[in-house]
Amino acid sequence: MTWRTAIGTLAVVLTSIITAFWLINEPARMAEAEEGFEGRSIEAGAALFENNCTRCHGPQGQGLPGLAPGLNTQEMFDGTRVAEVGWAGTLHDFLYSTIAGGRPVPSAGTTYPQRMPTWSQEFGGPLRIDQVRDLTNFVLNWGEAYELGIAPTVQKVVTNPIDPVGTDLSTPVLPNGDAQAGEELTTTLGCVACHVQTDVGPAWLAEADPNGEGIGTRASARIEETNYTGTATNSEQYLRESIVLPDAFVVDGYPPSTMVMTYGETLSKQDLADLIAYLVTLK
Amino acid sequence: MALFEVHIPILDDIKAKGLVPTLIAKTDEAVLRLTAGLNVEEIRSVLRGDPPKRPNPRTKPHADGFWMHMRPTYFHKKVMTLYPTFRLGWLSVYFLVFETITGLVLMLWYTPSPLVAFENMINIISNVPFGMMMRDLHRLGAEFMVMVVLLHMLRTFITGSYKKPRQFTWFTGGVLLLLTLFLSFSGYLLPWDQLSLWAVTIGASMAEATPVIGREVNLLVRGGPDFGTNGLLRFYLLHVFALPLIAFIFLGVHYYKVIIHAHSLPPGEENPGEDTARKIPMDKRSYFLPDVATKEIYWIVMWTGLLILMVTVGGWHAPLEPHADSQVTPLHTTAPWYFLWLQGMLKLGDKVFWGVIAPGILVNLVFVIPYLEVGPSRRYVHRRIGLTIAAVSVVAFSALTYMGTPYYAVSSSADQEVVAALVPQTHPGPLRGTPFEELPAGEYTTKQWDNAPSEGLGELLELFQHELHKYDDELPESEGIMVIEDWQVGLKKITFRVLWNEGDNSFSQFVFLHENSGYEE
Ligand code: HEC
Ligand code: HEC
Ligand code: HEM
Repeated sequence: MTWRTAIGTLAVVLTSIITAFWLINEPARMAEAEEGFEGRSIEAGAALFENNCTRCHGPQGQGLPGLAPGLNTQEMFDGTRVAEVGWAGTLHDFLYSTIAGGRPVPSAGTTYPQRMPTWSQEFGGPLRIDQVRDLTNFVLNWGEAYELGIAPTVQKVVTNPIDPVGTDLSTPVLPNGDAQAGEELTTTLGCVACHVQTDVGPAWLAEADPNGEGIGTRASARIEETNYTGTATNSEQYLRESIVLPDAFVVDGYPPSTMVMTYGETLSKQDLADLIAYLVTLK
Repeated sequence: MALFEVHIPILDDIKAKGLVPTLIAKTDEAVLRLTAGLNVEEIRSVLRGDPPKRPNPRTKPHADGFWMHMRPTYFHKKVMTLYPTFRLGWLSVYFLVFETITGLVLMLWYTPSPLVAFENMINIISNVPFGMMMRDLHRLGAEFMVMVVLLHMLRTFITGSYKKPRQFTWFTGGVLLLLTLFLSFSGYLLPWDQLSLWAVTIGASMAEATPVIGREVNLLVRGGPDFGTNGLLRFYLLHVFALPLIAFIFLGVHYYKVIIHAHSLPPGEENPGEDTARKIPMDKRSYFLPDVATKEIYWIVMWTGLLILMVTVGGWHAPLEPHADSQVTPLHTTAPWYFLWLQGMLKLGDKVFWGVIAPGILVNLVFVIPYLEVGPSRRYVHRRIGLTIAAVSVVAFSALTYMGTPYYAVSSSADQEVVAALVPQTHPGPLRGTPFEELPAGEYTTKQWDNAPSEGLGELLELFQHELHKYDDELPESEGIMVIEDWQVGLKKITFRVLWNEGDNSFSQFVFLHENSGYEE
């Protein structure tokens, strides 16, 4: 009985010492745990952004011309943007409420063909509240770079912006296109947002077209149409024209100037060739 | 004549004997009443280890006190040693109480709603002092309790303690076993993380195969075809209210039966067919006060100390995966470990036979064993068949448990398996365990494993290579590529690409990793 009392007492003392030590360390541990969960939230937000937002806001949130504004911008994080819209709350709340509720009424002076969708389940969107929170944390984290004065790492948006292809239909002569690279570009440039995922622009894929014709087949038929107003003489030229001069011929049933008007200034020869090479495969 | 008269007897005493002696006498009296029979002098004598006076005053609390009347006045010396009980029944009670106390603390910070349950877990871990420790203790205690109860059942089988007259003790034990399993299972869902949702979903879908009632019972406990708001609330109420209530009631019945039959003696101590446990000769008695009481306090201290040691210095922590998401099924979902044998059985064939009928028979067998196996002797030599069956069952259940894990006969595509080995969906895994700064941006192939720019990256590439080689049949001429990109300040995107057939086939998957996520610990 005595050795039991001795060991038992020792155990109580030891346990108390360990517990006391843990208590001293609790505030630091809790702070670290909180940081950890914030990190994991940003990770989750990054994956959500990749799956839901890049098609309009671009792979790095830099915005896609004609589709959606940049979120990863200087103005967003230096207070210009919230001041511009007259938002009295914090940037966090501005982002959170925009992502949660979307923007059913377009901002003044914008002509984006699609509205910013509603995301939170609270308002009938597809995402849970914690996911909206994760997205907000992820978007906010871009601010770190501006705070540290590091230029944002914007990659892969336009592969070669230095030598734009221009809006002429025959010069420069395009190099050979790579259909696979073209397919990737249609996602990074956001074409699919209008042509595949929604019906803002004419459907590219044969399955989605009322006559069962893909853009590759349609392109040669367009120039034969009696109301054709452009100057293209073959299907490659037609595609080139549709991309760099969208209003040269406006497809029936679509309003003019909806498609991004600036591709002539932002695409390189190679990009354009790749895009065309891909589009002609969509029979 | 006064309207009323106040008479305070203690004042008379003080007048007669003086203040201090009166206070001492009154304290002594209060102690005597609280302990239902022991005064201060007797308690000191117990603590000193003096032999009891005759008649033994230390038996009085057992007769007069509520708590002590539940415990026998004395035990047989032969059941006080580690063998034959291994204290496993006692430990089961310890864990039931331990879980109740830690669970009550957790309840203060928990709301059973899918909107906030996971958030509550984060709060408990990162905002409640000792919250994480309480959660770890509660989870660890739950795992221990299941193990201890199973071992307790095994030992009562081995010592033949289920035999006449203790058949009903065993039967109520069977109820307690089911309650223990369902207590643990219902608790699994509450954190509302991926592990919770999918482990419980798997468990529930196994039960769903039960003909006629399976679907209805499932609808009833889940409150819908899937787990959601209703299911979480129902599991919560089962976990914190209904199951503990029933468990304590059955513990009362179980222990009452244990006491009225007295602990069975080691089988060698009595003649076959005899039960002499209740008649304990004077010289074989070990009195509750002080022997049993001090031992129990000792074991409470030691076990509590051990548990606290494990969750602090030992670094054992309750897992917490990402928020539950019914849209995302993790690659390897398993039921909780004590139901893995069921998952293993399901791999043997027909869902209704192996998933419902066979386990149903087994569970019912537990309840009827003492009424079927009525051989009179508890001696080991007379019970070769029974003990062999027990040994075979233990081996069979272990084998089935192994078969229930994803290591056995799980068909999923090799390319996904390779990537899942590096970034598993059910726990952090090797990539998330690599220090953030050892993942420099760039594109790396598995061929470079021995000259990678950092040690951590080299180990990852080596593992990647190793995993690819495991599947040389399915993925001939394979190569692995790992692309690390700086995505934001403190955030990297890591893409794993598996190429095989000279690059004709490929699979890729990406994850994001934040510097502060703290998976490494
Ligand atoms: C269908 C295209 C589309 C998708 C998909 C989309 N957005 Fe938007 N988003 C827009 C448009 C258009 C605007 C500008 C709306 C306006 O100002 O009227 C916008 C505006 C915003 C704004 C406010 C920017 C500002 O400066 O006012 C935020 C924040 C935002 N989006 C975040 C997201 C997030 C996060 C996702 C992914 C969950 C997402 N968006 C997905 C089209 C989209
Ligand atoms: C903001 C939505 C939008 C985006 C983004 C967009 N387009 Fe369009 N596009 C349209 C609309 C609307 C039309 C039909 C009106 C017209 O002809 O200008 C169209 C027409 C076209 C046509 C002719 C279709 C036909 O059936 O004849 C082609 C080719 C085309 N787009 C290619 C592209 C490519 C390549 C991209 C990406 C680099 C792109 N578009 C991005 C909206 C968009
Ligand atoms: C929560 C679960 C349980 C608790 C708290 C519990 C508690 C106890 C306690 C305190 C004892 C006293 C003796 C000892 O320590 O072994 C006991 C004895 C016993 N238990 Fe359990 N028990 C549980 C589950 C079970 C199960 C699952 C079985 C078998 C199916 C079982 C069968 C028995 C039998 C037969 C005895 C009598 C042993 C003897 O007299 O030697 N119990 N139980």
